[in-house]
Amino acid sequence: MPRSIWNGAIAFGAVTVPVKVFGALEDRAIHFHEVHLADGGGIAHQLVDPTTGKEVPRDKVVKGYEVSSGKWVVVSNDEIKAADQPRRKAVEVEDFVPGDQIDPTYYDKAYNLAPQDGAERGYALLAAALQKTGRVAVGRVVLRTKEQVVAIRPAGDDHLLRMHTMHASDEIVSGGDLDVPTPRKNPAKREVDMAGKLVEGLATDFDPGRYQDTYRERVLGVIKRKAKGEEIEVTERERPEPSDDLLAALQASLDAVGGDGKPKRKTRKKR
Amino acid sequence: MPRSLWRGSLSFGLVNVPVALVSAVRDLDVHFHQLHADTHARLEVRRVCKKGDHEAPYEEIGYGYELEKGKEVVLTQEELDAAQPEKTRTIDITEFVDVDQIDPVLYDHPYFLIPDDTGEGPARAYRLLVEVMEKQGRAALGSFVLRTKEHLVAILVRDGLLQATTMAFPDEVRPADELDVPGKDAKPKPKELQNAVALIEELSRDFEPERYKDRHRERLLEIIERKRKGQTIESPAEPETPEAVPDLLEALERSLAEVRGR
Repeated sequence: MPRSIWNGAIAFGAVTVPVKVFGALEDRAIHFHEVHLADGGGIAHQLVDPTTGKEVPRDKVVKGYEVSSGKWVVVSNDEIKAADQPRRKAVEVEDFVPGDQIDPTYYDKAYNLAPQDGAERGYALLAAALQKTGRVAVGRVVLRTKEQVVAIRPAGDDHLLRMHTMHASDEIVSGGDLDVPTPRKNPAKREVDMAGKLVEGLATDFDPGRYQDTYRERVLGVIKRKAKGEEIEVTERERPEPSDDLLAALQASLDAVGGDGKPKRKTRKKR
Repeated sequence: MPRSLWRGSLSFGLVNVPVALVSAVRDLDVHFHQLHADTHARLEVRRVCKKGDHEAPYEEIGYGYELEKGKEVVLTQEELDAAQPEKTRTIDITEFVDVDQIDPVLYDHPYFLIPDDTGEGPARAYRLLVEVMEKQGRAALGSFVLRTKEHLVAILVRDGLLQATTMAFPDEVRPADELDVPGKDAKPKPKELQNAVALIEELSRDFEPERYKDRHRERLLEIIERKRKGQTIESPAEPETPEAVPDLLEALERSLAEVRGR
């Protein structure tokens, strides 16, 4: 069993369900460490005072907030902790909302929840009741030193409760905040119809087993080749030419899509 | 306009649209800087090579991987990109799925894909994709490589633009069975379930994200302001650790009575 990152309760009404919190994901990407290319030396991150050019020992480092240019207010970790003062270690549920109303854009980090000893019945009850109502619990909890808004939802048929920390609404960038070029002429109906057909041809069920990180293996392959002393051929990072003749590109794409809904050009390439 | 993290091409069939990736969430957290305790000089993080103790600029840093004990292989960014060059510059839409079938646990970070070319052709191709995807209501799936990692992405229309959310690969989701979670047999008693459902209904409302303000941000700024004025900030008391309620049914009934009596 993995180690929990936080222990506390889910509290709604007069009910408290003590739970343990675990990370829901495990990063399986290949991790590298930084190396100085010139001499192969490892890299250390040093805190340096630019006025003296010298490294500063950790016990001489404080946290500061710039209230006006060059004017700093120094705060300690205990003072930061004083910002949120929870009465108890709990996710205080404020509302239950229909799960399908939450745009997943709001979700930040995902956690798995497990009951603490003695809380199994309360946990199973909350999972069942959320499942039955299609609701998600929205509440607040202080994790480490920061109060977070979180959503707790049942994870399908696993009888598992998951918790997502959430972004605040003012942290969500809206499309209107971005400056996006608009075409002088909107796509023609014929183009929309053809693109629609192409989408339909590529429509399928989401099957988690099908999506695998193929890059991991390829990177390992490159590493092994380099270890054997082979030269790694480097290609230019050019991007494909944009399609200027939209209609022709759509027609060619449609021609390439077979009746089975899979693009033929890929299998053709292999042959 | 936010900075783009990646520039490449979105490919859909044989249609290619040059796009840039910009974050669809902004970080409004209160951030602190590291200062020298005595002089309040703002400190910098420097990358220093352990061989010879000299500074190593970012451009001179490669990727080290220990293939076996004591045998390290170092790759440059270009050599790393050679692993799958097309994925470093193209998001190839391979299929369209019903968005409700995607478990949100997979979602990592949302980005907007915006046209990265002022030409009429790319702008129209982008608009076409937006129109068609909005009409179909499906999520486009693809994958691409950002720095050292391949990401699965789900592309949806939001606010008239294409939003690409990076996703974990399904084999990166920790399985439920590694935790002690009550299974099917832990069926709640009908009376308990009925009361729990009633309580949830009483406390239900529509999701309005504006209701859940970031109070931490405001409170932290207040602490800083008080500190600036020279006030003493007292250490908070330790929070209580709640126990499981001894009688679930009683707690549910009490909660219901209270909510309904409001």
